[in-house]
Amino acid sequence: MKILVCVKQVPDSAETLSINDAPPRIIYGDASVFRMNRYDEFALEEALLTRERFPDCTVDAVSVGPQRVRSTIRKALEMGADQGIHILVESGEYVSPLARASLIAEYARSRSYDLVLAGIMAEDDMEFQVGQVLAELMGLPCATSVMLQEMDRMRGTVYVEREIEGGDRECLTIALPAVLTIQSGMNTPRYPSLSNVLRARRQDLVTIDPPQRWPGRETQLITALSYPDAGSPGNFLEGSTVDKARGLIRILHEHSLL
Amino acid sequence: MYTHVYIIALHAQGKIAPETYEAVSFARDLGAEKKTILVLGTLPQVEHMARELAERTGIAVTGAVAENLGHYSAEAYKSTIRTLIEGTSPFALCIPHTAAGYDFAPGLATALEVPCITAVEGLSEGSFIRSLFGGKIRAHVKPSTPSCVVTVLPGAWQAPAATQGSAPDVTIVPAEARQETTVPLGLKRAAARDIGFADAEVIVSVGRGIGSPQNLSLIRDLAALFPKSAIGATRAVCDLGWLGYRHQIGSTGTTVSPRAYIACGISGAIQHLSGMRNSQVIIAINTDPHAAIFRVASCCIVEDLTTFIPVVIDEYTKRS
Ligand SMILES: Cc1cc2nc3c(=O)[nH]c(=O)nc-3n(C[C@H](O)[C@H](O)[C@H](O)COP(=O)(O)OP(=O)(O)OC[C@H]3O[C@@H](n4cnc5c(N)ncnc54)[C@H](O)[C@@H]3O)c2cc1C
Repeated sequence: MKILVCVKQVPDSAETLSINDAPPRIIYGDASVFRMNRYDEFALEEALLTRERFPDCTVDAVSVGPQRVRSTIRKALEMGADQGIHILVESGEYVSPLARASLIAEYARSRSYDLVLAGIMAEDDMEFQVGQVLAELMGLPCATSVMLQEMDRMRGTVYVEREIEGGDRECLTIALPAVLTIQSGMNTPRYPSLSNVLRARRQDLVTIDPPQRWPGRETQLITALSYPDAGSPGNFLEGSTVDKARGLIRILHEHSLL
Repeated sequence: MYTHVYIIALHAQGKIAPETYEAVSFARDLGAEKKTILVLGTLPQVEHMARELAERTGIAVTGAVAENLGHYSAEAYKSTIRTLIEGTSPFALCIPHTAAGYDFAPGLATALEVPCITAVEGLSEGSFIRSLFGGKIRAHVKPSTPSCVVTVLPGAWQAPAATQGSAPDVTIVPAEARQETTVPLGLKRAAARDIGFADAEVIVSVGRGIGSPQNLSLIRDLAALFPKSAIGATRAVCDLGWLGYRHQIGSTGTTVSPRAYIACGISGAIQHLSGMRNSQVIIAINTDPHAAIFRVASCCIVEDLTTFIPVVIDEYTKRS
């Protein structure tokens, strides 16, 4: 059995970012630190837990992006993935979810994965799309916001519970192979073990060069980037820490809360 | 001027999801000449919902009926919507960005070979505005195709006021919903998790900015200053296991509206805001002056909570 996990690299914090106006682009400052998208950590953990249940299972981790994303693929190996795949896209431009999913689909199509996992969304673009688009491109069923999955290999299905508004869960089974996007809190992502860290250091990543023309690259464009309206309707308390503490107590008194 | 837009109505237990009406307001702002609402399900619910939609919005409604549309499934929705819009060339399909909406919208767009633009919260000169990086940056996005699928962020538009006058016609059509790879099995309700939010005058709520579970005593001490208080948390804090999920406030947790909400080390993600933005007074403590939480707070305090909260408690005990 083969599982593919899509992992995205995101900046650890938005503090180190700035905006380039023309062309509209995010600039990552020198102080930027990159890490794995948290939702993808839950997806990877779910794949590793599944491998513990089915010993014939292998887990591949794939990421689309420039050279720097290799550290995130390596992190996936450190957590326990068997193989890391890097789809190298050097462009500093915005890569639409359709384009990203197309590149992954191109790679995955001929490799007969039984299960493809991704995070429910990426913390940077917040698009909630790659898993669903990938599924459509590969002609596979898909469930999003998954909080529980149980594979039935005899039947060739997976039972899933997807979280909806208010924390309720929608239950369904879908046919394998399938794509699931994972919601946070489904499991507890593990820390890398020493043996996996050592293995990850030695192991080569598979590097895939994208085709000259990517499908779906230009279907949506970012025409501008901006900061949200600066004006907060709120009142910022001024002065020393003690001044602010007294200000807060005064406000709580004014509202008869203290 | 955009020609034709569709709004996909979403519903649960025979009731229209309120986000559907927000999507209607969004569609109105697109200025389309022609609007159609689609609602999918079984009889008799679809007919009731279609009438309600037509009466409230004054927009023509098509109700699509198939036996296997009793429960939501992405597969059935995608296939049914594709056949319903066949032969038309809509500028946009507007879908609420809810757990059902984002489940099928990107796949539907891909099948239609058009882009999907998700979690849209504003419009500007023909571009859709959406947030990046937890609301720190806004992107203006434009489809380069004549058609697109858009998911509309809950809370970004207000539901329209009910229209006067006679409701337009409602059309009910039989549909053929594909259901080959999915078996929907129904809903499991969230476990009861009342921890006194309803009775609390003040909710002191904690985010990842607390840094470590050891610091939770600060939150408990602050909450103890108030006669009727409860402790809330972001999903991040619950995922880390620092507090139980019963404390989670937000779109997938509890929705609260206390007299005062004190957000400590909470960035203000949209899914959190949707569960607390109707609190009467919102106080936010955060080290980052640009944190999104400050955009909904009436009292903004840029401080490290681990040093600030002890000072507040100290100052208060000195006074009383
Ligand atoms: C489908 C879906 C549903 C979701 N549902 C919910 C939900 O119901 N509820 C919910 O809360 N989230 C929900 N989320 C998650 C949400 O998107 C955010 O990830 C989450 O709310 C972030 O939690 P946070 O503010 O605690 O953490 P972060 O975003 O990491 O913010 C931490 C904040 O603490 C500040 N900080 C750091 N150190 C200090 C300090 N010493 N003193 C003061 N401030 C400090 C930082 O500046 C930052 O602003 C959902 C996500 C998805 C995808």
